[in-house]
Amino acid sequence: MMRFCRLFIMSLGLWYAGPIPAHPHVFVDAGVGFDFDTSGRLVAIRVIWRYDAFTSLTLFDILNLDVDGDGLLNDADRAAIVAGETDWADGYKGDTFMEMNNAEIALTRPVAGRAWLSDDQISVSFRLPLADPLVLEDDVVLRLYDPSYYYAYDVVSFDDLAPENCFVSLKEFEPDKASADLQNQLATLSREETPAQADVGRLFADEIWLKCG
Amino acid sequence: MRLTASIPAMIIVVTLGVLWLVLPWETLFVWAAEKQRDAQEAMARALQAVRAQEPAALISLCFATASYGFVHALGPGHGKVVLGGAALASGATLRRMSMLTITASLAQAFSAIAMVGVFAAIFAIGSRQLGLFADDWLAPLSTLAIAAMGFYLIVRGAGMWRRSTAKPCCHGHGPSVQQTQSLTGFRDAAFLIVSIALRPCTGAIFVMVIALRFDVFWVGCLAVIAMGLGTAGFNLLVAWSGVAARRFGGFASRNAHEDQRVSAQLHLLGGSIICAASLGWLVSMVPELAL
Repeated sequence: MMRFCRLFIMSLGLWYAGPIPAHPHVFVDAGVGFDFDTSGRLVAIRVIWRYDAFTSLTLFDILNLDVDGDGLLNDADRAAIVAGETDWADGYKGDTFMEMNNAEIALTRPVAGRAWLSDDQISVSFRLPLADPLVLEDDVVLRLYDPSYYYAYDVVSFDDLAPENCFVSLKEFEPDKASADLQNQLATLSREETPAQADVGRLFADEIWLKCG
Repeated sequence: MRLTASIPAMIIVVTLGVLWLVLPWETLFVWAAEKQRDAQEAMARALQAVRAQEPAALISLCFATASYGFVHALGPGHGKVVLGGAALASGATLRRMSMLTITASLAQAFSAIAMVGVFAAIFAIGSRQLGLFADDWLAPLSTLAIAAMGFYLIVRGAGMWRRSTAKPCCHGHGPSVQQTQSLTGFRDAAFLIVSIALRPCTGAIFVMVIALRFDVFWVGCLAVIAMGLGTAGFNLLVAWSGVAARRFGGFASRNAHEDQRVSAQLHLLGGSIICAASLGWLVSMVPELAL
C-alpha cells in the first residue's frame, strides 16, 4: 500500500524525529505537468517530489547513499532512490489522485524515474501514464496528497504545457478556521497514530486544474 | 496547625491544576512542532555543510542542535518531569538542582555518543536496530527507573508524615535536614542522573549516526553535547520552578514540625507527579494497553 522508502521512513526516520507529536512528518515540495498525445488526449502526468533536508538526510542513512562521502550521488545511489520511491506496492496510488466529473481517472505505475540531490535536498521525478488516454470533455483536477497526511505535499511548480484552448492552473490550499483547527488537532498526533478521519489529507491538498474550452 | 501546614501543598496543586487547564497546550505543541522542524532542517543542512568542510559549519551545527535540544525538551519527555518533581519534593538547593539538571542532560548526551560509538562504530549494528533497541528496551527501563524515583520520594514523604503526626518523643529535637530533604547524597543523585541518561535522545542518535557516516564522529560528539546543553536550558527552567515552589512551601511553616509536614506533603506531591507521568508513559509504550 505504499512506496518502499516510506516504510523505512515511518519505522526509522520518524523515530529520529522524537517524541514531539508533529503530524505531518515528511514535507514534500511537488511539481507537476501533463503530457498529451497528438490528438490532444491526456496520456500521462509528470511528478517531482522534493524532500525536506531532514528527510533527505534520513534517506542517506536508510538507503546507504554517498558511501564515498564526496557529497554527490552516483548512479547506484540514484538507482536506489528511484527504486525506493517508485517501486509501489499494489494498491498504492503514489499519493496522486486525478478526477474528471468527480470520477477518478485510473493511473498506472511510475516510469522514467530519476533522482538527484540539490541544496541538500533529494528529489525524485517520474512519469505516471494514464490507464487509458483521456479525452478532455470536462475540467480535470489533480491532487497530490497522502490520505493519512503523514506526508505533506506542497505544489510549488507546474508545467503549463497544454493543448490549444486548454490551460493549467494551480489552486493552492487556502486554510480557513476549520481546517486550521483540524490541522492543529492533527499536529498533536504522534508518529504511531493515524488520523481518525479517513482521507484527511485531501482536505489540505493543493489542486491543479486542467481546463479546456 | 496541620491545616496551616497543608496550605502550601494545596496552593501548588491548585496552581498546577489551573496551569493545566488554562495553558493553550495545542498551540504550544504546534509551536514546538514547528520549531522542532526548523531545528531539524537546520541540523540536517549543517551536517551536510560539515561534510562539505564549509567554514563555520561546526558552529551552525552546534547552534542548531542546541536549539533542537531546547524545543525537544518541551515535548512530553521524562527529564523535566523527574527534575521538576524532584526539585519540588527534595528541598535540594537551587545550585544542587542546577548541577543535577546539567549533569543529567550531559549524561544523556554521552549515552547517545556511547551507544552509537560502541554499537554502530565497533559492532556495525545498523541504525534501525539501534532505534529498536532504544525504543523497546532503554525507554521502558528508563521509565521504570524514573517511576522508582517517584516511589522513593513517596515512601520518604509518607515516613515524614508519620513522624510528624506521632507524639513528639524528644522535645527540643526538631527533625534534621536529613529527615526533611532528599537527594542529599551521592547515591540518590546518581540514580536520578542514570534514570534520565538511560534513554538517549533520539535526535542525538540521529546526529551521531550521520556524523559517523560522514566520518566526522568528533564533530557529532560536540554537536550532541551542545544538544544536551540546550535540553538542560529548558529543564533548568522547570527545575528552578520546582525549587521556587518548594521554597514557597517552606515559608508557611513556623517551626520544625510544620516544616516536616510541608516537606512530607511536597514529597508526596512531587513523587506522585513523577509516578503518574512515568506510569502513563509505560502504558502508552505497550500498544495493547493504550486505549
